Amino acid sequence: MQGLEALRAMLLIRAFEHRLLARPDRGFQLASSGAEAVAVGVCAALGSDDTLLTSGRSIGPALARGLDPGAVMAELLGRTGGPCRGRGGRGHLAQPAAGFFGAHAVVAGNLSVAAGVALAMQSQSRPGVVACLFGDGACGSGALHETLNIATLWRLPLLLVCDDNGWSVSTPRAAALAPQRLADFARPFGIASESVDGMDVGAVADAARRLAAHARAGLGPAFLECASARFTPHSTATRETRTRAQLEALELRCPIRAHAGALRARGELDDAALAALEHEARDRVDDAVAFAEASPMPGPEELLDDVG
Amino acid sequence: MSADAPPAPRVFFREAIARALAEEMAREPRLLLLGQDIGAFGGAYREFAGLHARFGAARVRDTPVAESAMVGVAIGAAAAGTRTLVSITYMDFLMLALDPLVNYGAKLRYKTGGQLRAPVVVKTTAGAKGQGVAHAQCLEAWLMGVPGLKVVAPSTPADAYGLLKSALREDGPVVFVDHKRLFPVAGPLPAHEHVTPFGRAQVVRDGRDVTIATHGYMTVVALDAARRLAHEGVSCEVVDLRCLAPLDVGTVAASAARTGALVTLEEGQPSCGVGAEVAFRVRDAVGTLRVARVGALPAPVSSNPVLEAACVPDASRVVETVRRLLDPARRAAPPSEES
Repeated sequence: MQGLEALRAMLLIRAFEHRLLARPDRGFQLASSGAEAVAVGVCAALGSDDTLLTSGRSIGPALARGLDPGAVMAELLGRTGGPCRGRGGRGHLAQPAAGFFGAHAVVAGNLSVAAGVALAMQSQSRPGVVACLFGDGACGSGALHETLNIATLWRLPLLLVCDDNGWSVSTPRAAALAPQRLADFARPFGIASESVDGMDVGAVADAARRLAAHARAGLGPAFLECASARFTPHSTATRETRTRAQLEALELRCPIRAHAGALRARGELDDAALAALEHEARDRVDDAVAFAEASPMPGPEELLDDVG
Repeated sequence: MSADAPPAPRVFFREAIARALAEEMAREPRLLLLGQDIGAFGGAYREFAGLHARFGAARVRDTPVAESAMVGVAIGAAAAGTRTLVSITYMDFLMLALDPLVNYGAKLRYKTGGQLRAPVVVKTTAGAKGQGVAHAQCLEAWLMGVPGLKVVAPSTPADAYGLLKSALREDGPVVFVDHKRLFPVAGPLPAHEHVTPFGRAQVVRDGRDVTIATHGYMTVVALDAARRLAHEGVSCEVVDLRCLAPLDVGTVAASAARTGALVTLEEGQPSCGVGAEVAFRVRDAVGTLRVARVGALPAPVSSNPVLEAACVPDASRVVETVRRLLDPARRAAPPSEES
């Protein structure tokens, strides 16, 4: 999924989030705008045998993985038409049967779980790899060290992908993490790692494919660092702490604009084609919203279902 | 059991655990065991003895000292179709792993609308035995109130065997709590395969005057206290809860309704403890009831033998509490409960 398909996937995420965040009933959300290329690039490297785990910032990755936008919209709005019947919401979106093992909204909380999913694949002699997407904030957690250690020892088919948007809520990366290069966290383990421009979907996809192939070949885990950006506040409930000038500078690096520019330069895209793709994305979001709105909220009598 | 049935062989607690694990490993070829020193070493209490040799290093895996990741790995593997038991050598260290256990494993089935389940057993060893403040705690009460989590704490080899086998067939996460002082204990274990269902307490001594509800090693202490009280003409009924979540309130309530008095006994802290929960729910079910609880005194459990013994309950404290509860004159004198 590079070329026009990658553009189509990124436009869908952007349009989807734009529509979701404009809704008065959106509730608490963590947007992926600015990091579309990371989600789409990583998912380009994943096939049907593979599965993806993410942090709570899961909307872009879920759509990039191919989940039905209507089902995702329903889940995010708490409707029973969501794959988790509206219980998971944005932080806990999951549809394992579609290769999206799920989001988990505890920072770094999905790392060891992903290693466990990889252990199950390895133990069952299944062919896939497990990709786990997390933010730079997770790199300050001991869970990353523990997971890298065990995954390396046991050669687990695990692709760890750090979506480094440079901020943990209001704390800049430099105030939270000592290493300059986050892929260096993988160095002591001697595993494959790369650092790429997370605003370049092609670069992310190429690196993700190389590292996934490494994990697929039984060589153990790999680490991919993607320098991306977050165009919106940490969450819909968080104050923006960056200046307008900072945000405008970030938006100049917009991964969608960058990819569209590259496609134009290669003669694969013109204004009409771009407009058509944008229109298609809006249509898909219209359909998603219609599906979600037609789906009921759960009744309180469902509260105790599936507790344990 | 008929009079001419052969007596069940007596085995040590650790042997009962190893037998249950071996049978379930054979029954479920995907079952993995993870933990520190559970491989060739055979576990801190030799409760994993023989499994590494029989089932191999891929299924009986020594792990790094990384409780949080190991519980996360175990739950992830379980959710992806590989049932897993993970051993946390000391229950104190389970605190390091509460995030994957409570935030992920216990909620997984619920939050995914039933798409995923985490059939994982976290086996851990609680209790004071001379090892100091961070190797001694009984934290099972913390876990009882977590929706989606089941908690069992056997007191006999037979229940260790039967409850562990049940735990390994559950759909969701189970914390299996054993106790350092139970490992040297031998008891009958029938040769035939059996499982012990969750949510059923067991009356382990019949009595008329007072019900003592307890679990784990404190069952041994309660039975000791009951024998001493029998010499004074006080008849104690001892109920081994066995399973703390789900809790079998009915068995305790039926006993307490007969005796009219309930003493709860636990080794852990009684504040917000197992006994507080049991006493409330039993009194709710029974109505009028005399209640007292016994637990550790509100101090860390030192490795100092004098201080350790002063902190955790023993039979003498149970005896004294029962006497005070049953004697109206003494009961009038505060405090009305021991804690």
